This record gives sequence, C-alpha cells and structure tokens, in this order.
Amino acid sequence: MAMRIIIIGLILALFTACGSGKKTDEQAFLEGLDSAKAEGPSISEGVIGDILQQIPSPLEISVLLKESGKKYNASYLNSPDNISKYNSNYKKALNLGVYGTDLGYTNIYEQNQDGVKYMASIKDLADGLNIGQFFDIETIGRLATNSKNLDSLLLITTQNFNSINHYLQTQNRSNLSVLFLTGGWLEALHITCEVATANPTNKELQETIGEQKIILENIMLLLSFYKESDQNMAALLTDMEELKKVYDKVNITYTYKESTFEIVDGVMVIKDNSSSTIEITPDDISNIKSIASTIRSKVIS
Amino acid sequence: MKKLIVIVLSVFVLSTLEVIGQCNSETFSNQCIPKLATGFNFLKSYKIEKGGKDYVEYSYVFTKGTQYMINICAATQPTDGIVVSLFDSGRNKVASSKVNGQFISAIAYPCNTTGIYYIQYTFDGSTGYCGGSALGFKR
Repeated sequence: MAMRIIIIGLILALFTACGSGKKTDEQAFLEGLDSAKAEGPSISEGVIGDILQQIPSPLEISVLLKESGKKYNASYLNSPDNISKYNSNYKKALNLGVYGTDLGYTNIYEQNQDGVKYMASIKDLADGLNIGQFFDIETIGRLATNSKNLDSLLLITTQNFNSINHYLQTQNRSNLSVLFLTGGWLEALHITCEVATANPTNKELQETIGEQKIILENIMLLLSFYKESDQNMAALLTDMEELKKVYDKVNITYTYKESTFEIVDGVMVIKDNSSSTIEITPDDISNIKSIASTIRSKVIS
Repeated sequence: MKKLIVIVLSVFVLSTLEVIGQCNSETFSNQCIPKLATGFNFLKSYKIEKGGKDYVEYSYVFTKGTQYMINICAATQPTDGIVVSLFDSGRNKVASSKVNGQFISAIAYPCNTTGIYYIQYTFDGSTGYCGGSALGFKR
C-alpha cells in the first residue's frame, strides 16, 4: 500500500512539473527546413534576442514621413507581385520584413487598396515560413476598410509582427528574425533616402538617415553571428560592410545633461536636457542612398 | 517509510503550488496597451517577472524628435511597487517612475538624442513581483 502511494505520488509530481524537453512534431518538421534554418549562431539565442529587441519599428519612420507632410508615393515600395521570386527561406524572411515596412507605410497613409495587396503577400510569405498563424489577415483586412480603425489596424499589425519575432526566437529560428528585421530596416532606410532626395533641404530627413548608423551597427553585429554558418547571411554582411564605410564618415556627438520632470495628469513627463548633433553631408546621403539601393535591389530581386 | 511518503506528497504539492503561483505578466502587459495615452502608437509590450533577479531590463533605440510612453500595469494599484527607470546608452538615469515616495504608472519621454535606451523595472515593496508594461510612441 505504501509503495503504491509512493508510485502514484511520483507519477503525479512528474505530470505537474513545468516544461517538457520533448520535441513536438512541429519542431521536428521545422528543423527539417532548408538552409535558412542555420546550423547555429556563434552566440546564444538569448544574447541575440537582447540585440534584436533594440531594433526600432519601421513604423516610426513611416509616421515621421507622414507627419512631416511628405506625400505618399507607391513607387518607393517593393511590388507585392515580386513575391513569386522569393523561393528560399532566406529571401522570404528578408522580404517579409520589406513588405512589413511597406504595409506600415500604406497603413499610415491610409492607402488601403495598396495595403490589401501587401497583406496578401505578407500572409503568403509567412505561410511559406510556417508562421502564417500569427498574421491575422482577416482582422487586418477588415480594419483596413475604414479609416476610423487606423489605431486598431496599426496595433494589430504591430502585435502580429511582434508575435512572429517572439515565436521565431523561441523556436531557435532567430536567424529568420534577424533577416526579417534587417529587411524591414533596409526598406525603411530606402524609403527615407528616396524622400530625402526629393526634399534635399529637409534637415530632419538627413538626420534620420544619419541616425541609422546606430541601428546598422546592431544589424551588422547580428549578421556576424551567422557568418560562419550561413553563406547568405555572410554575403549580406559583406554588403552591409560597404554601407558601414560610408556611415563611418557620419559623426554623431552626444552631450548628456540631467533631465527634469513634471507630473501631468498622473503621467511623469520628462524633459530631456541632453542633446546630440548629427554631422552628415549631401555626399554622405547620396552615397548611403546608392549603396542601400544596391543592397535592396539584391534583396528584392 | 512514512517519511518517504511525506516527501513524495510534498513534492507533488509543491509542484502544484508553483503552477498556481506563476506570474501572468502577459495579461498585465495586454492591459497596459489600451492605457497608452491618446495619440501614442503601440510598439512593444514587456513582461515584468522578478523571478530570481533584482531587476528586469529591456532595451530599445529611441529616436530624436519622437515622444515615447512607457506604462506599468500590475495586480494592485498603482503599480504594486514596480518602478520603471530609463537609462541612456551611457547608463545615465534619465527617468524614474517613483518620486517623493509616489509610484507613477506612466512615463512620457520626449527624446532629444537618438540612441540605445535601457528600460529597467525594479521592485520596491512589491507583493506580487509581477506586472506588464507597454511602450508606445508619437511624433
């Protein structure tokens, strides 16, 4: 009798223990996918996740462009029809990011007809990467039909992309997260360069381009973790190194001053007394635009 | 033999209690999203679970000219002792949500300098050591 109690107790304790090391059928399937499932980065997935989380959302740039009065221009974007060219996981992940930026741009400008096409392409790419379950195309499509739903549309879209990133990292597929965020960033840089070229006296746009130096450093660090295990990511890193050479000429200086604050309606509103200056010349802008465009052409072709 | 039975049953009970006591930070971070002030676009949600650490930290590149809002949601108001502090890339503290003994549930940070910022959550008299947070932005 006592032995029976012990055995039952042990069995029950095992059932209530947290976590399981058993590989699911889905995990086994995903690990059989092609070369973009890297053999493994040279550093822990946790460290990669810490760097990945820093990369800002391309939505910030789309909002900046809209609120600075610049008009919508669909020619800046990657055609949704190019999706037929993306057959490898490498190209799919990169262009999922590219199209994610394009979708954010169309959403901000309430260009719903274009937005619907990007939604379809994104869903297609996400399905191809076995992460389509995180892109709620039905809800997003419904929200996109009414301009009053813009806040909800942006929220759901951002949440979906965040879920995709989180899932990829939990499934040891951070390499696809890196490509996704790199593609999104590159497209945002490209669009900003195009708008800056059309508005050559706009200092804010020039500074925005200059500030991308900080994010480029993160992206190159992330790509470097895969250069030994993934030849595609190694090649992309080489391309980014050309971009870095131009950004090495861009100077960002930072002066710290203690901040102050006041409480307004229960919110602590900070006054940031620090400042920064970004030294970037028209030649720098032109060179950045040229190299970014070259890299982007490889990515979207 | 009786001692062995007690040990086995204790393991079972303790493992069950661990499940019940788990922090549901995702629920709190989801609660925080609609609490971002009007005009702020959602960027990210953060889970706040103390676990065995002194603090929980995330990081993000803030952009000059953009205003960011970070809020905190927890089981007891206003923040169950959770304090959010913001540090710049040089680890200078630029904001903290506890002032004069008062816990503020949201910080608005108009950024003047682009760079990596560290968002750190600490626990000051917390009971649940569990919460959620949302980050939003506006131009």
